[in-house]
Amino acid sequence: MSDGAETAGSRPADAPPPRPRVRVTAPRAGAAASTRPIGLVGTEAPTSDIRGVYVRSLIRSQLRLGVVMAVGFVVATALFVLAIAVAPELDETFVAGVPLSWLLLGIGVYPLTITVGGLYVRAAARNEARYRSLTEDE
Amino acid sequence: MNAAIGYAAIVAVAVASALIGFYGLRVSRTTSDFYVASRTVRPWWNASAIGGEYLSAASFLGIAGLILLTGSAALWFPIGYTAGYLMLLLFVAAPLRRSGAYTIPDFTEARLESVWARRVTSTLVIVIGWFYIVPQLQGAALTVRITTGLPSWAGSLAVAVIVAVLVAAGGMRSITFVQAFQFWLKLTALAVPVVVLLIMVGGIEPALPPGEAFPIAAGPSDLDVYRTVSLMVALLLGTLGLPHVLVRFYTNPDGTAARRTTVIVLVLLSVFYLFPTAFGFLGRAFAPDLAASGDADALVLLLPGRLIPGPIGDLLTALVIAGAFAAFLSTSSGLVVSLAGVISQDLLGGSVRGFRIAAIASSFVPLVVALATESAGLAGSVGLVFAFTASTLCPMLLLGIWWRGLTSRGAIAGMLTGAVLSGAAIFGGSLLSTAAPGIRPFLEQPAAWTVPLAVLITVLASRADRRGVPRGADAFLTRLHVPEAARRHLG
Repeated sequence: MSDGAETAGSRPADAPPPRPRVRVTAPRAGAAASTRPIGLVGTEAPTSDIRGVYVRSLIRSQLRLGVVMAVGFVVATALFVLAIAVAPELDETFVAGVPLSWLLLGIGVYPLTITVGGLYVRAAARNEARYRSLTEDE
Repeated sequence: MNAAIGYAAIVAVAVASALIGFYGLRVSRTTSDFYVASRTVRPWWNASAIGGEYLSAASFLGIAGLILLTGSAALWFPIGYTAGYLMLLLFVAAPLRRSGAYTIPDFTEARLESVWARRVTSTLVIVIGWFYIVPQLQGAALTVRITTGLPSWAGSLAVAVIVAVLVAAGGMRSITFVQAFQFWLKLTALAVPVVVLLIMVGGIEPALPPGEAFPIAAGPSDLDVYRTVSLMVALLLGTLGLPHVLVRFYTNPDGTAARRTTVIVLVLLSVFYLFPTAFGFLGRAFAPDLAASGDADALVLLLPGRLIPGPIGDLLTALVIAGAFAAFLSTSSGLVVSLAGVISQDLLGGSVRGFRIAAIASSFVPLVVALATESAGLAGSVGLVFAFTASTLCPMLLLGIWWRGLTSRGAIAGMLTGAVLSGAAIFGGSLLSTAAPGIRPFLEQPAAWTVPLAVLITVLASRADRRGVPRGADAFLTRLHVPEAARRHLG
């Protein structure tokens, strides 16, 4: 209850500057319910402890994301190469005088690299946005 | 080959690089400008510059030569060179930019709060840099010998002198523009000849029929699993520790820009590597004799003139010579910038004058090594440098960024372990080339066992030294991972 009153009370004061736009971004509902009471209850507890928890969870989620992407890339590449190696007809199909198996190995991995890179950048930015919305709620 | 074409192309590239370099000098004023271009370089510029710096003699000449020499096993080199940037993106790019350090030794010292860890890192950076410049100078020697008929040492000497002058005069601000220019020059210098060759070869009879030019025994189905895996470990993880690659990330304005830059680099490299690959394929069909004569690395330089006689062939030859020289100049100058940064900060007080002295010194040591040794294949030599880097700097960097328990003793123990093991394997492998066939692959491609051992030693030694965890470790990790926009909340 006091939670709701707090936000309601602070809103008009903040309305003129551009900040309110940040406050209504996505993860707010869940985040506000779980984290704000801790900040209010532990009046004497340094807020840096809570920030430390947030930072550690940010690092963990970024590391997990990086490892998942790296493993995904390696596994996909290995499967791709295996598929080329066990398909002998690819060695006998010639495109412009070059066997298809050589062409696939020479070209095929790059699109995968770019795709994984693009996916990672968006996911990593999402993790950081979640961290920001958590800390700015306080 | 017409020597005049060679001279004209080499002089043109040197003059263009110098002009852009000195133009950049006018906006290069402070120490910060000299080291990291004041961190104001935009992602596309920066990505082009990273590409320009990264694509060395090994990429421009070595890959096509190795495809001609060994077949599809060589295709793993460009894949690894590109995917190394993916690993850099996933684990290093943004945190490293946020660390706010100028060089890898700066990072080590800030993270581990230890002067000794810094000294070990500096020494490794300098050794890696020197051994990475050597193949560039050997590539220059090959190019000058093939294209002008001058003795080999002239090419090495010319590149070393040009690089020393460029770096000492302009620092990194001008180097950024030079590198970006050289990326596009290198791409054009391979792409245009490939396109013209592909159009023209329709009417030329290949030297070998397709089945003999691309035998199944040298194809993708004949995979040497250990060597391939080990090479991939070296290339994927070695990229993380290359000094000239890391220093480039400090020029991004923030961590998010560092990530964006890296994705653009992935795109640029993927496009670039299509062309050396095409050159290699063309070489297998149309110039298989070069593999036997020992000049496989010169395939890119010789093929246009062989297949297309007359002025068009001459023009294309001039273009590839220019591109090759751009490759030697850009990689060497990038390395010299980062080496000079390390040497001048550690030994000469970090002044602009110290940077200039260090730049000259770091150009001439590799020159001596290059003149004293024979090239053992450009792509292979660079691959070994990657293996050494992956075994030494990479574990320290990765654990330093992601694990708060890393201590300076752990890092030093791991770096020394990796250096001794991979160094011994590389030198042992070149000495025992015929003696012990059973262990040869493990010596010639050591990364698959040296990197895990180095990581293991780093972790164990850090665990045994729990009280050695730096007091500022948490604060430093926070700085590495918290986005810049949210920093004000940390006070």
